[in-house]
Amino acid sequence: MMRISAAVLILTLIADLISQAAGVSPPGKPRLTSCRSPEKETFTCWWEPGDDGGLPTTYALYYRLENTETVKECPDYKTAGENSCFFDKNATSLWVNYNITVVATNALGRNISEPVEVDVVYIVQPNTPENVKAVVIHEDRDPFVKVSWDKPRTADTRSGWITLHYQLRVKQEEDKEWVEYDAERQKNYNVFSLHSDREYMVQVRCKPDHGFWSEWTQTTYVKMPNYIPRERSLWIMITIFSVFIVFILTWMLKVKHNSVKLCLLPPVPGPKIKGFDKQLLKSGKSEEVFNSLVIPGFPPTTDYDDLLVEYLEVYDNEEQELVLDGKDLSEDSMKSKSPSDSDSGRGSCDSRTLLLDKCMEGSGNDQHNYSQHGETSWASSSECSESQGSPGSPESTDGRMKTWPVVFSSPQPHHHYQVGATKPAYHSVPEILKHSPSHAIPSNYHQLYLQDIPPQEGRFTKPPCRHSQSYNQFNMDNVDISEAGVPPSRSLEYVEVQRVNPENILLLRPLSDPNREPEGSDRIDEDYSKVKEVTSNNTLLLQRETSHQVVNDYSQDFESYADQCTAQQTPHPCKPVMTQLHSQDMRVMGNGYVDTTVLMPLYKQF
Amino acid sequence: MFVPYPLHVLINQAGNTCHSKHIPIPTSKSEIQQISDSWLLHSVLFLVQSWMEPLLYLQTTLDRYDDAPNALLSKTKWVSDKLLSLEQGVVVLIRKMLDEGIMASSTIFDHTQSPYDGQFPEVLESVIRDYHLLTCFKKDTHKMETFLKLLKCRQSNKLSCLPQ
Repeated sequence: MMRISAAVLILTLIADLISQAAGVSPPGKPRLTSCRSPEKETFTCWWEPGDDGGLPTTYALYYRLENTETVKECPDYKTAGENSCFFDKNATSLWVNYNITVVATNALGRNISEPVEVDVVYIVQPNTPENVKAVVIHEDRDPFVKVSWDKPRTADTRSGWITLHYQLRVKQEEDKEWVEYDAERQKNYNVFSLHSDREYMVQVRCKPDHGFWSEWTQTTYVKMPNYIPRERSLWIMITIFSVFIVFILTWMLKVKHNSVKLCLLPPVPGPKIKGFDKQLLKSGKSEEVFNSLVIPGFPPTTDYDDLLVEYLEVYDNEEQELVLDGKDLSEDSMKSKSPSDSDSGRGSCDSRTLLLDKCMEGSGNDQHNYSQHGETSWASSSECSESQGSPGSPESTDGRMKTWPVVFSSPQPHHHYQVGATKPAYHSVPEILKHSPSHAIPSNYHQLYLQDIPPQEGRFTKPPCRHSQSYNQFNMDNVDISEAGVPPSRSLEYVEVQRVNPENILLLRPLSDPNREPEGSDRIDEDYSKVKEVTSNNTLLLQRETSHQVVNDYSQDFESYADQCTAQQTPHPCKPVMTQLHSQDMRVMGNGYVDTTVLMPLYKQF
Repeated sequence: MFVPYPLHVLINQAGNTCHSKHIPIPTSKSEIQQISDSWLLHSVLFLVQSWMEPLLYLQTTLDRYDDAPNALLSKTKWVSDKLLSLEQGVVVLIRKMLDEGIMASSTIFDHTQSPYDGQFPEVLESVIRDYHLLTCFKKDTHKMETFLKLLKCRQSNKLSCLPQ
């Protein structure tokens, strides 16, 4: 037994070796690769044969329907090609599982493949779409490609047995990736955004509701023409956007019209002159225009006469004293006055030429005590005054009083103010003082103290001309003259300058003073020239005094003038005023009162 | 609920057939295309009604699994609801197309047909059974779809829907 089995074993091995040496063997195991149904009516299965073992091998496909025991063999091995089995319509049952196996048989043996369960409805893979066409469409817009195709011939989509979905893909020859488009159930599709002058490849495939995608069709080539792309939509958007922006800007400009105008074209300030009316100028009447410029009251031309202080009027009352204090008065009067506007003349008390009326009103004096002060135009040399600053421009500071020769009257008695450092140099306020009789001056006299005004605080470049100051400070000493018979009420009285004492003090004496010195007796006489004789030629010969202490230069001028006067035939008075000047001139020592109005024409020349 | 491939053999060998086998439904296109509209509609209705209870059962069993995905559960429920709607639609079609009045209820099918009576087999067996159930359901719904599509075509264009 042992030897038989051993022998069999050895023979088998030898047979195998021989067969291997001969190259024959039982077939290898075949394998079913796929089963497909193109239209859900038939299907085909393919298998892969294994090693044939060197011997002719036959393959048989057997199938068994679900829940049956019958094994059937493939009805058609030919139709589908090599190693395939085609199931026709009769052999195809839907919704039924097929158990399919393939058996390979050769001389040495047979081999069975693994079984495969197949349900036809799940293995549907349609054929490729047919008749694919790609056409370039030229219309109003940019050219595009319209791809059209037909369904695969075998698929029965008309009865609804199969529903197919289509898909196409496009690319250029040189591109790597395809661009896929889904066409759903349509059989055509428009492809846009293709580049001009290029050649494109197009392919189409389809798929049933439940199943596999078909194979791609053969490539269809389409050439895009050479066209200029008109990107209309972009330009439309740009246009609309810019129009929108323009609208917004216009609306904003309209809303902010004024502020923009202000920013771009700032208003140019026009010239303005107070009181200047352009309309008048346009009308051409220059007179009216310039008249409107004239501010009433400035320059105070009408009051010019008041500026000519002919005399100092001193009002005497028994208990009252006229105290003229520049410092105090200026402040008082200034306080009472309303501030004047900046661009008009100061006028009144501020001005260099003092307006007596305004001063008197502003000062609020008592009725009795006021004196009129005028700027003494005694200036012997006007150069001094002019060098002391422009008199026409009042300072607009607190010391506005300071720059002007303001003379005010105040009822304050017994004030002796000297022009201090704060006072303007040339503003002299005569101050009437109550003077003690120790001065040995007649009580009726008012003493005007000529005092040199101390130099100011550098407001002026030149020190005031001491010896010939324009404005002198007068300290009027109000001597008690109440018993002089001066009416207690306010009344004007003239005073005459008696003499100038060596201390530069003007001694005044009222005209109505009965205690006049006898020197004034011939005052009247000496107001006028005496007529010496009348010549035969009807010429008046005037008497001329030779013993004068006048300034020689003056006298000579007038002498010549007087000669001319005398030589005239006409009997008209030959300006006796001049003669009077000649005689009186600067000699103020009681020969008569100083008529400053006479002097004015002379000073005008300066 | 992945069923290992060797178990497929188990499923087939177990002879688990879909319960709808009891209904003689033609399996080829030619046969089906020769079926009348009435038959198509009734078949659909029958199919719909036969699957109502099994879907309910499926929901309960899927809940019992610990690692059943939520998508599966939600889908099962959703399908169950859709089935109800489908039944109502078919009833309407039968009434309109066939002029027949039919009550829409799931009491028609036989309870004996359903083998799911409160038995809770072990997990693997239950999984296999559920898997099989879903497979059958998929097939039957495909049948319904096909029938309805045929009906639709017949309604729109009778000539084109004739068998070629």
